[in-house]
Amino acid sequence: MAGPSAADVRSVFSLPSTPGPSQPKAPAAPERARKPEGMSRELYSLIGQSAPTLVAQLAKPRLKQKPNLGGGGRVKWEWRSFQNQARSDGLRLSHWVKAGTPSDGEYPFAKYNVQNPTYTYTQDEYTKFLTDKEWTKEETDYLFDLVRQYDQRFYVVADRYEYPGGPPRSMEDLKDRYFSVCRKLVRDRPWPGDEATKSQILSSFSFDKEREVMRKKYLESLESRTQEEIAEEEALFTELKRLEQNERRFKKERDELLRTVLGIESGLPDVQADEEVVSGAPQLESISTTTTKKTKKKGVTEPDTPMSAGPSASNATVSLAPPVPKKQSAKSAAYDALHCIHRTEVPQLTTATATKAAHQPVYLRSYKLPAPKSANAHKIAQVLGELGVSSTRLVMPTKDNCQKLEALLEAATALVETKKQVDKIDQEIRLAQERLGQGSAEGDADGEAEDDTMDVDEPAEEGGRSQSVVSARSVRSSRGRKQS
Amino acid sequence: MVNYGGDEVSALVLDIGTSTIRAGYAGDDTPKAVIPTCYGYTEEQGDGDVSMEGSEEGAQLPKKKTTLYVGQNGPSVWRAGMHVAHPVQNSLITDFAPIPAIVSHAFKEVMRTDPSEHPVLVTEPAWNTTENRERMAEIMFEEFDVPAFYIANTGVLNAFAAGKGSALVIDVGQSTASVTPIVDGFVLRKGLSHSGLPQLIYAHAKHTLTTPQPGRPGIQLIPHQLIANRQTVDATFPPKFTLREDRVPGVTDSWRSWYEAREVDEWVQSVAGVLDQGWNDQAAAQRGPRHYEFPTGYNTYFGAERFNVGELYFSHTPQLVASNPNLPKTIPALISSALTACDPDIRQVLLGNIVLTGGGSMLSGFADRLSAELQRNVSHVKIHAPGNPSERRYGGWLGGSILASLGTFHQLWISKEEWKEHGKAIIGQRCK
Repeated sequence: MAGPSAADVRSVFSLPSTPGPSQPKAPAAPERARKPEGMSRELYSLIGQSAPTLVAQLAKPRLKQKPNLGGGGRVKWEWRSFQNQARSDGLRLSHWVKAGTPSDGEYPFAKYNVQNPTYTYTQDEYTKFLTDKEWTKEETDYLFDLVRQYDQRFYVVADRYEYPGGPPRSMEDLKDRYFSVCRKLVRDRPWPGDEATKSQILSSFSFDKEREVMRKKYLESLESRTQEEIAEEEALFTELKRLEQNERRFKKERDELLRTVLGIESGLPDVQADEEVVSGAPQLESISTTTTKKTKKKGVTEPDTPMSAGPSASNATVSLAPPVPKKQSAKSAAYDALHCIHRTEVPQLTTATATKAAHQPVYLRSYKLPAPKSANAHKIAQVLGELGVSSTRLVMPTKDNCQKLEALLEAATALVETKKQVDKIDQEIRLAQERLGQGSAEGDADGEAEDDTMDVDEPAEEGGRSQSVVSARSVRSSRGRKQS
Repeated sequence: MVNYGGDEVSALVLDIGTSTIRAGYAGDDTPKAVIPTCYGYTEEQGDGDVSMEGSEEGAQLPKKKTTLYVGQNGPSVWRAGMHVAHPVQNSLITDFAPIPAIVSHAFKEVMRTDPSEHPVLVTEPAWNTTENRERMAEIMFEEFDVPAFYIANTGVLNAFAAGKGSALVIDVGQSTASVTPIVDGFVLRKGLSHSGLPQLIYAHAKHTLTTPQPGRPGIQLIPHQLIANRQTVDATFPPKFTLREDRVPGVTDSWRSWYEAREVDEWVQSVAGVLDQGWNDQAAAQRGPRHYEFPTGYNTYFGAERFNVGELYFSHTPQLVASNPNLPKTIPALISSALTACDPDIRQVLLGNIVLTGGGSMLSGFADRLSAELQRNVSHVKIHAPGNPSERRYGGWLGGSILASLGTFHQLWISKEEWKEHGKAIIGQRCK
């Protein structure tokens, strides 16, 4: 600013132009080093050229590239008239288009002018297939024309339907007539395509008038409920909900009680399954769950449900309850045999659990191995131990094995009992002899000692006893086999 | 462009209502011109006073020797011996003679546009007659020389303005309240129901104002054009004003009744309200009174009576029903008669898409009351009531603006060529 104005003043006063500070500056300007990239203009003008060391550090920061929105140049629009191909006349309207777009191309909205395919019929076809005593051909024509006009919007068609001289038609009448005519046309005309598409089209034209009328009636009655009816329904519904909730709470408490009293034996089923059974509100559940619910219900209430231990199931799944022949159909028996299903009679545990929910739960067969009676348990265990059999654990608790173990235990118990009896009688005999022959004191002590040795392990006697045990077992088991 | 479905062809949209005529460009959100539908006219004695017409927007009809005064400065300006006439009654155009002048005023004087260069979309009520719409097309094609024309239903347009294809449109205008079921952009004519309910409201409001009430005398509805000066008085005190005696002899009955209607209407618009939950003396008393000042300077507070007026929209008192057997149906009665005429399948759809529109529905509490009334009877109701006053008042125009700027709509215009070829019959074929 100052430079030119000073020069102006000089020229105004016609002074000789003295070499001002600005004049040498002008040629010097290009020599000046270029402003380094990345340094702001203000900063550069402050520090000038004296900061060459900074240049190295002032690399241009790498920023994200600005998006090119194409807004750089001005876009030219022009007011241009156009022809709409969806129109049958030559109306030319005008709109703004970008300059450069080809003129008189297809109007972009013309493609949305789609016409639904409609069925038409000839007089011949009508007399052959489509005659109906309720409808004249003229009225059918009128109906088809309306349906075409309003693109099968039957609400509108029924609203605008005013055939002069015709009977009043409901929407169902119109739909019924239209779809039946379409069906007949599809069925009776020669069909170029395959049968699948034909039947598909036929099914798309299916219309059940009675059902529709019934449905509408129901809908109407639903809407025309009075306020009291609605209130009553609502009250009933809440009552039902309340009952359900009570039932649920009751069940929960009972289950809790059962669990604390009986532990695992209580056989608590899945609580959810139980609830559904008790809920008694089938209308609240979708149809898909009803089938599963039924099976669940059966599982809970009927005691003779299959507690399956199929071949694929683990070997530990064994029930020790003896197989009881049930009254079952031959078919189910065959099925069971085929699938290795063994049905067990569920023992009624206690009277307390004899409610509808107290069913026999699934259990491992190994849990139910029979325990020897506590009085002789020790001895029986000893006997089994001699045989090399563990009474508490089976490696393979299959049904047969469990049965065998049970038989063995029974035999062992019987053996021990017999042995006890024998010992007792021996003792009595000895006592009687001593009483007959000698003094009593020594003999008593002797007998007791002998009794003790019999209870406690005595290696000398072991061989004989084991022998006897084994023999007794073999006898019993063979007898058991014969029985079964 | 195609993605948004819009394609502007600079169409004009003309919505003729009972109170105002709305005109504007398609694609705008508010009409450019809103002028009163009624017009003033003076009958000239011979070839006398032509100079009077000078500054006003008027059009001379040469044969009848009458001068029309239309537009904002039409009836509202006092002129000696000026009558006021209403070409539209019950939303239907009953007198087509002044329509070209009024439309021309809207297009040419207010919008400063030439209708012969733009396609024109005109609205009509759902109960419009065939003769009326054909006459309208004739006016547009013959007198305004429009290149293309279409006539659309206000109910449908109101639904479109709310962004709905199917709706139950409740339109409360100045002279008519109507309930129109719309399905897929078509009016279900059998379900259409309308009544002159707003006229009853007006009559009731006028009666309330002009008859002495406990606590105040009857109010004089004197036009401000006839008042020379007035003094400020406290509320409920008698007004102090001087009349312009020079003007009083020149006042015609029709102009006075036009003015009174306008004053009552203004009072209703600014003071009247509707109670949210049915009529209840206590609730009405609890709501604060509202202040209103009349042109005479008389001003007072209106308490419960302002709700009395709005209540008539929803229920008629037994005394009223007994005294007048031909009462117009209330809004709930209109809705229920519309719904019963519809197929039970679509009732639920309609109730879920209720569109409340029209200047008469702008009473405070109207939408709340409506939803309370409906929810008492049906469970799922959704009411679309635009909060924006211009959207509510000019819903029909707005829908027309949307419709006429759609790219897919342009195939529906009736072109001048088609008009010449097919004549009047094409209107019924094209505008369903």
